Amino acid sequence: MKLTRREFAVGMTTAIASMTLPRLASAQSSLVVPTYGGLWAKFWEEKLLPGLTSATGIQPQLDVGLGKDFVAKIRAGGDRSPYSIFMGNENIAAVLRAEGFFEPFDLTKVPNAQKTFPQFVNKDAKGIRAVVSPIGLAYRIDLVKTAPTSWHDLWENPEFKGKTGLYQIGNTGAVLFLRLVAELFGSGPDDFDTAFTKIKELLPFTQASWSGEVATALIRGDAIIAPVDWTEIMTLQDKGAPVAIVAPKEGVLAFEQSFNLVATGTEKDAAHAYLNYILDANVQQDMAKAFYTSPSNSSSVVDEKMSVRTPIVGPRMAEIKSYDWNSYVDKAAEIADRWNREMA
Amino acid sequence: MSALEAVPRIESRSNRGSATWMVVPALVLLIGFFALPYLTIITMSLREASTRAVYGEGLTLSHYTTALGDFYIWGILGRTLLIGATVTVLSLLLGYPVAYHLAKSRSRWTSLLYIFVLSPLLVGLVVRTFAWMIILSNNGVANQALKAIGLITFPLQLMNNSLGVTIALTHVFLPFIILPLLGNLQAISPDLAMASRSLGASRMRTFWKVTLPLSMPGIQAGTILVFVLSISAYVTPAMLGGTGGRTMSVLVVQYLVDNFRWPAGAALAIIMAAVAVMFVGLYLKLTARAMRRLP
Repeated sequence: MKLTRREFAVGMTTAIASMTLPRLASAQSSLVVPTYGGLWAKFWEEKLLPGLTSATGIQPQLDVGLGKDFVAKIRAGGDRSPYSIFMGNENIAAVLRAEGFFEPFDLTKVPNAQKTFPQFVNKDAKGIRAVVSPIGLAYRIDLVKTAPTSWHDLWENPEFKGKTGLYQIGNTGAVLFLRLVAELFGSGPDDFDTAFTKIKELLPFTQASWSGEVATALIRGDAIIAPVDWTEIMTLQDKGAPVAIVAPKEGVLAFEQSFNLVATGTEKDAAHAYLNYILDANVQQDMAKAFYTSPSNSSSVVDEKMSVRTPIVGPRMAEIKSYDWNSYVDKAAEIADRWNREMA
Repeated sequence: MSALEAVPRIESRSNRGSATWMVVPALVLLIGFFALPYLTIITMSLREASTRAVYGEGLTLSHYTTALGDFYIWGILGRTLLIGATVTVLSLLLGYPVAYHLAKSRSRWTSLLYIFVLSPLLVGLVVRTFAWMIILSNNGVANQALKAIGLITFPLQLMNNSLGVTIALTHVFLPFIILPLLGNLQAISPDLAMASRSLGASRMRTFWKVTLPLSMPGIQAGTILVFVLSISAYVTPAMLGGTGGRTMSVLVVQYLVDNFRWPAGAALAIIMAAVAVMFVGLYLKLTARAMRRLP
C-alpha cells in the first residue's frame, strides 16, 4: 500500500493521540507526589512508589524538585493545587500553612500516625514530620586533632577558627543553626540578636547553599568542621572520604520533612493513604537503610549494624531539637536580610 | 503609469504582506512569553507584602522605594554591573585575537580551534561551575600550584568573591563574543587590507585604521550579548560568588524562592531589568555614534 502524505499525517496524529490521551486522562485522576532528587528520587522510583501501588492500588506520579519549588507551584496553582500532599522542611511548610493552603489530616485515615514519635505530629494534625534526617557536627578525621563533642566547640576549639562551614540562610540548615545558637547562648530559640552576635564570632566561614556543597567544602579541606546531615556524611563515608559525624551532647538538629494535606488538592484520600504508607515501620526502615534517615515510626526495627551508622534512633530521637515555626514565618524575611548583610 | 511599471509595485505590496505575516509567530511568542510575564511581574511588584497570604490586598510602591533607598541593594547592583563590564572587556580582549585568527586562518586545524572555542558550552553549567570550584578554592588546583612554585604561602581568596565569578563567567561567555566577531571579520573583504598595505600602511596601522573599525558591528553585538548574559547569570554567581560576590540575580532568586517574598523580589527584578535596558541603550547610542565617526 502506498501512503499519501496526508494519510501519513492523519495516521501519525491518531497514533500519537491514542498514546497520549490515556496518559493525560490518568494524569488528571492520579496523585502527584513531590520528592527531592538524587538518592531520594531513586528510592521513591524504585522502592517506595511500587510498594505503595501494590499496597494500596494508587498509581502516583512523581515530581522531583526542591521544597521551595513545590511551594511556588502550590501558590501559583491558587485554588487548584497540582499536589494534594506537600513535602518540605517544616519551616518551609509553615509558610504555606500560615497562608492557609493546608488543612489538618484525618488521623483515622492514617493509622500509622499512632506509632509515630509524638514530637513529629503537629498540633491538631496540621502536618506530620514523617522523614527525619538528623544534623550533627561533621568533621575531617585527618585534619582535626580533637574531635568535637559539643556545639560550643565551634567557638572554643581554636582548630576550627576560619575553617568552619555553615549553610547559607536560604537553606533550612542555617535557620535551624541560628535558632540552636539562640537557644544555647541566649534566652531561647527566638533570641536572634544573641544568635547573630555569636555566629558573627565564627567569621570567616564557608557558606554553602545545600548539603552537597558543604560536603564539597569538607572534601576540599576549605572547611574541616560543619553542621551537616547524617545522610550526606554517611554517603561520603561510603565513598571512602575521611569524614565523621557526631551528635553533640546538647542535642542534634534535623531536616524534618513535613507532610501536609493541601486544601486545594483533589486527591485527599490518596494523600492520606500515601502518608500512611510513608509512616509504615518497614518503609521507614527501608529509608534509613537507603539514605540514613532516622525512622519516625517507633516500631521500626533498628538493628545494631544500622544504629552504628544512624545513631539517632529509637529513644535517642528525643535528642532532636524541634522548633515551632509558626511565629518565625513573620520574621523570616527580616532575618534572611540581616544574615545577608552581617554574615559577609 | 505603464503596465511594466506597475508590476514591481504589485510584487512589492505582496512581499510586504507576506513579510508582515512572517513576523506574526515571533510577535505572538514575544507577547506570550515576554510581554505577559513582564506584565505579571510588574503587577506582582506593586502588591502589598504579607506573611499570611502570597501577597497583601492593596497596591504599593514601597518595594521600589525601599530597594532604591537601600545602600546594600545599590552595592549589589553596582557589583553586578562591574562584574558584567569586566567580563565583557576581558572577553573582548581574549576573544578578538581568536576570532581574528579563525577568520584569517586556512589551516586544517581550524576546525579543532572551533571546538575549543565552543568547548565551554559543551559542558553542563553546574558541572563546569563545580570544576571552577575545584580550581579556585582555598585548597584548589590554582592555590596548590602557586604554593608549589613558592609564589604564595597562604592561599589566595579566588572564590566566594567577584574575582571567581568574573573568571568563570569570562570562560563561559567567550564563545558569545567570538562567534559574532568571527562572522563580522569573515565578511570584511581582504582587498581592503591589501589596498591599505599597498598604499604603504604598516600591518598594525592597517589593523587599527581598517580592520578594527570595520569589525565594530561585531564588537557591538558580541559585547552587548556578553554584558547582558553576565549581569543576568545566576548559577555561576550563586555557586562561586558566596557572600562577597553576590549579584542581583542571586538576590532576586533569594527573595523569590528562598524567602517567598514575591512582591519585593519582583520589584528587584524590574529594577535590574530597567538598569540593564538603560545601560544597553546608552551603550548602543555611544557605539553607534562612534561608528558614525569612523573613517
